[in-house]
Amino acid sequence: MNNELKLQLQAHFDGELSEREARRIAELIVADSEARALASELRMTKSFLTGNEPEAKLTESREFYWSKIERDILRSEAASAATLAESGFNWRRLFAPLTGLAAAVVLCLGALHFSDYALFSGSLRDLAEVENESEHMGSFSFRSDSGNMFVVWVYERAVDTEPEPEVQAIDNDLLF
Amino acid sequence: MATRKDYTKLDDPALVKAAQRGDMRAFEELVARHRDKVYARAFSMMRNEEEATDVSQEAWVKGWQRLKQFQGESSFVTWMTRIVINLCLDQLRKHKRQRAESIELMEEESGGVERQMPTVTINPTEGLERSELRARIDRALNQLSYEHRTVLILHEFEDLEYKEIAKRMVCSIGTVMSRLFYARRKMANLMASYKREELS
Repeated sequence: MNNELKLQLQAHFDGELSEREARRIAELIVADSEARALASELRMTKSFLTGNEPEAKLTESREFYWSKIERDILRSEAASAATLAESGFNWRRLFAPLTGLAAAVVLCLGALHFSDYALFSGSLRDLAEVENESEHMGSFSFRSDSGNMFVVWVYERAVDTEPEPEVQAIDNDLLF
Repeated sequence: MATRKDYTKLDDPALVKAAQRGDMRAFEELVARHRDKVYARAFSMMRNEEEATDVSQEAWVKGWQRLKQFQGESSFVTWMTRIVINLCLDQLRKHKRQRAESIELMEEESGGVERQMPTVTINPTEGLERSELRARIDRALNQLSYEHRTVLILHEFEDLEYKEIAKRMVCSIGTVMSRLFYARRKMANLMASYKREELS
């Protein structure tokens, strides 16, 4: 008997063969004494193993065994809560540039609207400041029909900048 | 608030439902009921008390974390046993990476090593009491390589099909068949040798 046949013999006992293959192996068992002996050994091994799995019992008390499980569960829940909180923070960071981009688009649209208005307003034709409601972004736009150009400056507003001493600066300038 | 005694009156499905709602005391009762079975499976695969205890506890933690995924297609203890088996397989794979393949396994993988084993014709377990039979099976399992032992346990004690074993052990069905064949033949021969020891 070759190795393949032996494995098929085993598969026959485990119910893993097709009907046709199973018939072929059943015929082999009848005809071949080696196959018959092997089949008998496989059957015997299966029968003494069935229902006789060795038993093992924990020596630790219920309380002690559970305490480690409980501790690990609580620790993992605390860790996943912290991860969730952190991932929320990351989302905000991820969205910051997108917010900036959206603000720039809004500014461009606003500027386009303004350019229509400028056709009727000669004094504002060349230079204009477009107001931006964003706390983090500021912008200026410049349009020149003669130069055939339209420029938008977008800048980040510093959060902690000190208020500019507007009046004082003008006065100082006047002193020179 | 329910006492521990109240939980002991509930059946597994009721405890599972309560645990799925976040009731940790219900889960504790499930652990108390099935801890030996889960540990026994871990021990049969790991063959080390300390490691089996650690892996079984890890399995319970995973069980709690995945409890919402449990739909009740199988019994709760079967579901838990599958979790501990997967953890044992992960652990054993790590061990395997740390040691060289046994010559026995390499020979077996190349096929034909069992040819040297005589076919056992007389039942070596005849007349044994159940406790003695189990003790001998345990002794024989201990003498198998982890690959052979695992495939035997998954097939004979967990009733998994070749395909399912191959998936879990990350190997081909052919490898499962050849390991199972070798493991069975080795078991038969070991049991026969214990019988001879007893008689001599």
